[in-house]
Amino acid sequence: MAAESQARRENVIIYADPDRCMGCHSCEIACAVSHAEGHDLFSAVAARLPLQPRNHVVSVDGVTMPLQCRQCEDAPCTAVCPTGACRQTDGMVEIIGQHCIGCKLCAMVCPFGVITVKAEVAADGTALTNHGIAKKCDLCTDWRAETGAEETACVQSCPTKAIQLVDLDEYRKALREARARELVEATRHIRL
Amino acid sequence: MLGVTKAAGIATAWDRYKAQQPQCGFGSTGLCCRICLQGPCRIDPFGNGPQYGVCGADRDTIVARHLVRMMAAGTAAHSEHGRHIALALLHVGEHKLHDYAVHDDEKLHAVAARLGVATEGREQSDIIHELAEVTLGDYQNQDYDKPCHWISSSLPAPRLKKLSDLGLLPHNIDAMVAQSMSRTHMGCDAEPENLILGGLRVALADLNGEMLATELSDVLFGTPKPVASVANLGVLKRNAVNVAVNGHNPLLSEIICNVAADLHDEAVAAGAPEGINIVGVCCTGNELMMRHGVPLATNYLSQELPIATGALEAMIVDVQCVMPSLPRIAACFHTKIITTDNQNKITGATHIEFEEERASEIARQILRVAIDNFKRRDPKRIDIPDEKQEAIVGFSTEGIVAALATVDAADPLKPMVDNIVSGAIQGVVLFAGCNNAKIQQDHNYLTMAKSLAKRNVLVVATGCASGAFAKGGMMTSAATDQYCGEGLRGVLTAIGEAAGLGGPLPPVLHMGACVDNSRAVALVTALANKLGVDISDLPVVASAPEAMSEKAMAIGTWSVAIGLPTHLGTVPPVVGSDVVTGLITDAAKAQLGGYFIVEPDPEKAADSLFDAIQERRAGLGLSTAPRRPALSPTYRFAPSRPAPALLPS
Ligand code: SF4
Ligand code: SF4
Ligand code: SF4
Ligand code: SF4
Repeated sequence: MAAESQARRENVIIYADPDRCMGCHSCEIACAVSHAEGHDLFSAVAARLPLQPRNHVVSVDGVTMPLQCRQCEDAPCTAVCPTGACRQTDGMVEIIGQHCIGCKLCAMVCPFGVITVKAEVAADGTALTNHGIAKKCDLCTDWRAETGAEETACVQSCPTKAIQLVDLDEYRKALREARARELVEATRHIRL
Repeated sequence: MLGVTKAAGIATAWDRYKAQQPQCGFGSTGLCCRICLQGPCRIDPFGNGPQYGVCGADRDTIVARHLVRMMAAGTAAHSEHGRHIALALLHVGEHKLHDYAVHDDEKLHAVAARLGVATEGREQSDIIHELAEVTLGDYQNQDYDKPCHWISSSLPAPRLKKLSDLGLLPHNIDAMVAQSMSRTHMGCDAEPENLILGGLRVALADLNGEMLATELSDVLFGTPKPVASVANLGVLKRNAVNVAVNGHNPLLSEIICNVAADLHDEAVAAGAPEGINIVGVCCTGNELMMRHGVPLATNYLSQELPIATGALEAMIVDVQCVMPSLPRIAACFHTKIITTDNQNKITGATHIEFEEERASEIARQILRVAIDNFKRRDPKRIDIPDEKQEAIVGFSTEGIVAALATVDAADPLKPMVDNIVSGAIQGVVLFAGCNNAKIQQDHNYLTMAKSLAKRNVLVVATGCASGAFAKGGMMTSAATDQYCGEGLRGVLTAIGEAAGLGGPLPPVLHMGACVDNSRAVALVTALANKLGVDISDLPVVASAPEAMSEKAMAIGTWSVAIGLPTHLGTVPPVVGSDVVTGLITDAAKAQLGGYFIVEPDPEKAADSLFDAIQERRAGLGLSTAPRRPALSPTYRFAPSRPAPALLPS
């Protein structure tokens, strides 16, 4: 039942309110550290790990907000992935690391530019692999399972609460209610 | 107490800390620069984003500049305190202050002799006048090659030579602070090595400021001797007008204590049968506790809680480490917060300006505010916790030497040296510094001290470390039996009995406020001189396991500069630069003997310090303890380039 109703829902997304974002990049640091396999900020920095955030704070035309994977329903990234590593799954688009070969096709077709394919281990130049695999927002699935956190790392870290996890059903419901309230106000004294 | 504040919906430091989570990663690693108006500039610690500030500063420059600024601020704080005391002494010498006098003539003579001030056949007022002028010269001298008087007359010769060779001896405290600000200005010193050398020099100016502040306070108010006291919130009394003194400078609090007895009857008339009860908070508390046995209500982090007992009539604050939240908390109770320093006011507090010329008069005026406020108490809200802990305090260097002299009057340091040589005492650890909301209050202190005392390391403490140990029951004879290893217990028992304490000396010796870290320097200097070695050879280490303030950064840095392995339990904002991290750890060790150890885990930190003690013992050819498997450090630093040196050797 649950799975069925889940299937009919859209994927969850991260909503960013540009009016609240201070451009502090805290969400990027939190994202990078939450995917650092148990390192905290200090140990990751001390060990000089080249961590990648999966979100990107963007500033254009006086507006600042983080961008990350929109968990598209008809995702071009899943369509082009030659190995099937990038695919739709329960409530999100996921990239299975073991299957990814780092070909960057998904990064090229993503309209939002939110996939990176850089390695998080220092390459020594002689190895057979660069360890580079596609990385994008995974809605902190593993991290949340490990830490029991309800919110994602970026949402938790934002000092102004500019970002939140949004369930589209709830988002639409809130929009409908807000508009209905306005309509009721506007038409209260009109009888046709 | 936290239950009371929680029930009343009052936010304390712990709530505010929680509200601040998570804290900014750039600031935490030292990679945010706000030095000029082109900023703030941030360096991406993971290498994806910007690697240079707008001006071109790299991570190393940014981290080093901000670190040096912290040291300069800490130095400014201690040295301003010192200047205040030196000026008071000058004015006593000029017969301008009638509420102050020399309380320790012997110390006056000792200090004067050390600083080359003639005493033979001179009036006391002439001696103190000249002593004050020589001291104030350390704030005025413009000859770069003439080092400050206090430091150059206080450290062992080999250390002075080393510092002089490296160009690290400060010539003028104020100039060092100004130079630190100037070299860290946008577009100035950008080389991390040179910046850190400047930081070491300003930190040594801090040591100079601490030395003069401590020693001249002893001259004016008396050198502490062992005395019994009590600590924790239970020192507040239901039937007394409770007055807390909070801050750092003894100039006002000493007078408050003096005049409190005069106003006893007024307090009784106001309905408080037990009169006035003065209690200390933070380092003002330590100063009074050391000299007079005045009870200590609490140390830094819980300074808001005495208010929540509903039984505190007034909290008198002066300078440093005073939480600006106090008036907000006090507004929920009847307590009056009284600021007294022109340069340290807080919105919502009552300001009563303190002037040394009218010290007693102002002290009386302040105490009358407290007495008058007694009637505003709400008896239903009084909730004084039972917790109260006995503590033997007052171990100034002179106090320790006097206790040792009861064992060997001719050569007081001999029993200590002999026991270090035999291994009954493995070494000495100085615990200093603050509380920090990032760490469960006092936890690191107690964990580490117990771990080291068990391994026969003698523990001395200053500042809020002392407060932690006093509250935690580590300043009693019973604690020696409970926590010390056999060798240390034997020594402390022998000295305690010879000194007529009726039991062992406590395992933790209270050496004073945070400004009194200079007392610990005097002790290690005496030990080094006795053995004819440098401080960096001694099995002596330092630790600030709950460091918080900029003063702690200054103290920690000079501790490294004089040759002590120095532990920090909070990660300073330097991790963003492996170069700076390398400079204050490995490079410092190679060139100064002292170095920082950053380790948040108190058990691992105790092990690291014990290892550092063993390394020193081995260096002196003394017996060492059997090795044990090393715990892996919490942070491993991976340098990006070969370890730099402070100066090309
Ligand atoms: S943490 Fe919040 S305010 Fe800061 S950049 Fe991210 S979304 Fe913006
Ligand atoms: S990676 Fe890009 S294309 Fe793929 S789901 Fe996310 S936003 Fe859509
Ligand atoms: S939800 Fe997690 S993975 Fe996605 S951007 Fe935020 S922190 Fe990164
Ligand atoms: S000094 Fe340089 S790094 Fe610092 S804020 Fe100015 S431009 Fe940025």
